[in-house]
Amino acid sequence: MWKQRYLLLMSVPFLIWLVIFKYIPLWGWTMAFQEVKPATFSKPFFEREFVGFQNFAKAFGDRLFNQTMINTLGISLIGLVVGTALSILFALFLNELVFNRFKKITQTVSYLPHFVSWVIIASIAKNFLNDGGVVDTMLGTRLHLMSTNSALIWVVIVLIEAWKETGWNAIIYLSAIAGIDQGLYEAAKVDGAGRFQRMWHITLPGIKPTVVVLLIMSIGSVLSVGMERQMLLSNALVQDHTMVLSWFAYTRGIGNNNYGLGTAIGMFQSLVGVVLLLIANKFASLIGESKLI
Amino acid sequence: MKKKQVLAAVLGMAMLAGTIPAAAAEGDAVTLTYFNADGKEEDPWTNPVAQALTEATGVKIQLTFPVTTDAESVALMIADDDYPDLIFAKGNAGDLYDAGAYIDMEPLIDEYGPNIKKMFGDEYEKLRWSADDPGIYQLSYYELGHAALTTSGPAQIQYGVLKENGWKYPTTLAEYEEMIKSYLEAHPTTDDGYDRIGISMTTSDWRWMITLGNPAGFIADAAPDNGQWLIDEDYNCIYKHRTEEEKEYFQWLCRMYNEGILDPDFATQTYEDYIAKLATGRVVAITDAMWDYQEAQTLLIGDGKLEQTYAAVPITLRDDQTCPSLQYQGMGVGWGVGISKDCEDPVAAIKFLDYICSDEGQVLIHWGVEGVNYQIDENGNRYRPEEEIQYQKSDADYAKDTGVGYYVGNGWPHYSNGVLDPDGQPYTTVTTDSLVAEYNDIEKEAVEAWGVTLLADIFPQADEFEALPYAPMWAYQKPSELSETEDMLNNEIAWPGLVKCVIGTEDEFEANWQAMIDELYANGLEDMEAGMTAFMAEKIAAVE
Repeated sequence: MWKQRYLLLMSVPFLIWLVIFKYIPLWGWTMAFQEVKPATFSKPFFEREFVGFQNFAKAFGDRLFNQTMINTLGISLIGLVVGTALSILFALFLNELVFNRFKKITQTVSYLPHFVSWVIIASIAKNFLNDGGVVDTMLGTRLHLMSTNSALIWVVIVLIEAWKETGWNAIIYLSAIAGIDQGLYEAAKVDGAGRFQRMWHITLPGIKPTVVVLLIMSIGSVLSVGMERQMLLSNALVQDHTMVLSWFAYTRGIGNNNYGLGTAIGMFQSLVGVVLLLIANKFASLIGESKLI
Repeated sequence: MKKKQVLAAVLGMAMLAGTIPAAAAEGDAVTLTYFNADGKEEDPWTNPVAQALTEATGVKIQLTFPVTTDAESVALMIADDDYPDLIFAKGNAGDLYDAGAYIDMEPLIDEYGPNIKKMFGDEYEKLRWSADDPGIYQLSYYELGHAALTTSGPAQIQYGVLKENGWKYPTTLAEYEEMIKSYLEAHPTTDDGYDRIGISMTTSDWRWMITLGNPAGFIADAAPDNGQWLIDEDYNCIYKHRTEEEKEYFQWLCRMYNEGILDPDFATQTYEDYIAKLATGRVVAITDAMWDYQEAQTLLIGDGKLEQTYAAVPITLRDDQTCPSLQYQGMGVGWGVGISKDCEDPVAAIKFLDYICSDEGQVLIHWGVEGVNYQIDENGNRYRPEEEIQYQKSDADYAKDTGVGYYVGNGWPHYSNGVLDPDGQPYTTVTTDSLVAEYNDIEKEAVEAWGVTLLADIFPQADEFEALPYAPMWAYQKPSELSETEDMLNNEIAWPGLVKCVIGTEDEFEANWQAMIDELYANGLEDMEAGMTAFMAEKIAAVE
């Protein structure tokens, strides 16, 4: 301990940062058990009315709550599977490219959309996918991609997300691939393994730990689907299937000026997130991978 | 090293300079921030009318406006507990009131607001918030006095269509449909080669209420605009999207959709797409309001496509109904400008508003600057020179650059058309004479063919209707329990539900409609109607 005193000292600012920005704000969770509306918002803590679990009861009893949970999980899980699969696939293919300059250009082009705001992506996407948009016009039919009130919209959103993020997410897998011992490939080559055999037997097992760690981390956040993406890509018709927890917390909390209710929904989201993370972590250790925590 | 020090010093200075308020240089004018829920663009407050207002009141207005929706902006304002000095919040004033954001203006008006009292006159008492709280928190801006000189009616159709039908105009939905269909058959494409579209709407944002919801009430229920409500003779409030008449109207829309008359893209197209579509002249008919499609109309006129501009037609579902477009609904109580608790100089604010309400202020915001924007003839009448009218017609930025009319309808109190000042002069620039003089060729042709003076004369006139004791329901600020449920019924159930009814097949219509009605009732429609009726009773009791 004394030996590492400088290192420990150096980590103190980050601890302080963590406490100030991550733990102290948790005090705000107390609002979930109070009635907090604009008129009582500025009152001191003890003068607000305590309502117990009433806010939670109201949230769970809301007509949109069940559908919102289903949507959140649906969009999240489809997104997780499709997103991870596409990113790995993309990283694999990119890794196999021999012509280096082309590889670099492809990589750069593919992760550019990551830096573009959802506002712009959404309006481009709507231009293409709305009724009578570019896709409809090219195919000469009406696909109703953005106007069918069903789980179809989840798939549409997931694909738009994939278009935006695949290149970026592939970076981490590419770097994991780069860390694989080249000797393995040479040995496999000598043994007569083909390209796909090398991908299957060396590259994929080589990046498996990375994939598992990333999956564990994302399972913790399946409930925190970004609100802006959902709002921007949604419209009145598909609203039932695009509503997700964070957006729900926003409309019922900020939108209806009922901050206690919004906090309750947000708190529920965090707690379920922690539970899911623990389950995923357990699962990872069961299948023989290193645990995250 | 030296260089770096200099650089650091310069950067440090720059940071300091950034923190000094930029407004300090403006001399002694008080700057008031103003949130205009209807605002769409920055106003540098440099046009001549703005300058004249500053000169008269010593107040400069710094405008802020909603970036997304006004409801969101106001909700965030409340969450921040940080308000601009003056607020025009449209339908969100109730939330601000609940949050304690407004100050009671009455004591200020008593001391500094003689012109405000004069302007509101008999209607002044209506400004009081509720039976429990008689304070005045907002000055209504809408329909102070009234003469129905213009209307865009419940529905519009291109002048070219009417012309082709020998200037016969439709009065029922069936005639409207017939006219659209026969025109489409005779002219499937425009001169520019676009395929014509029968009817278009935009329902991708709040405008679903304007192009889908409101016309249903006007045409099917033949009821004036009370938001989503119908009010019967006994002042019972009924949710309008559940009546048999509306069902018939939406069934008609569904049929139009399936027959390809109604724009197949209407459900998801954005407002911008919609306006762009109208501006090409390919849309034969719309169900909209003038303020909403104005931009397209101006573009069409600019392109010389007069026949493709839109004429308002008085259609109703059945021929025994009376089109309510010209019915006078009284002052819009509940939508108006208020002073916030964060305003550091409420006296300056009330004096500013008092000046706006004065005769001088009203003439200034409506007519502009004397000698520049208008002249006074030998009889003492105000008139606008021909070049000024031409300037206005040819330049889309006229209002913004000159300030003439720019501050009318931005939330501040103003007189409506037809109200006369003490000299017998109209406050507004719009009179029967000015309208007639400014009609374009196709409009002139229309009034001549119809044998009327004004375009609005083909509508049932205002005096055919009885005066209503209540203000339009859309404007009243309802208690938050009611407005919360209403928002849910409107935006989460009726909006998607109605669109679904329209874009489903005709066979599915019955089931879709019933599903929406059931959903409405399952989520408290009955209690909502009772609550609204009780709310109405309170308002009626207050005026009796």
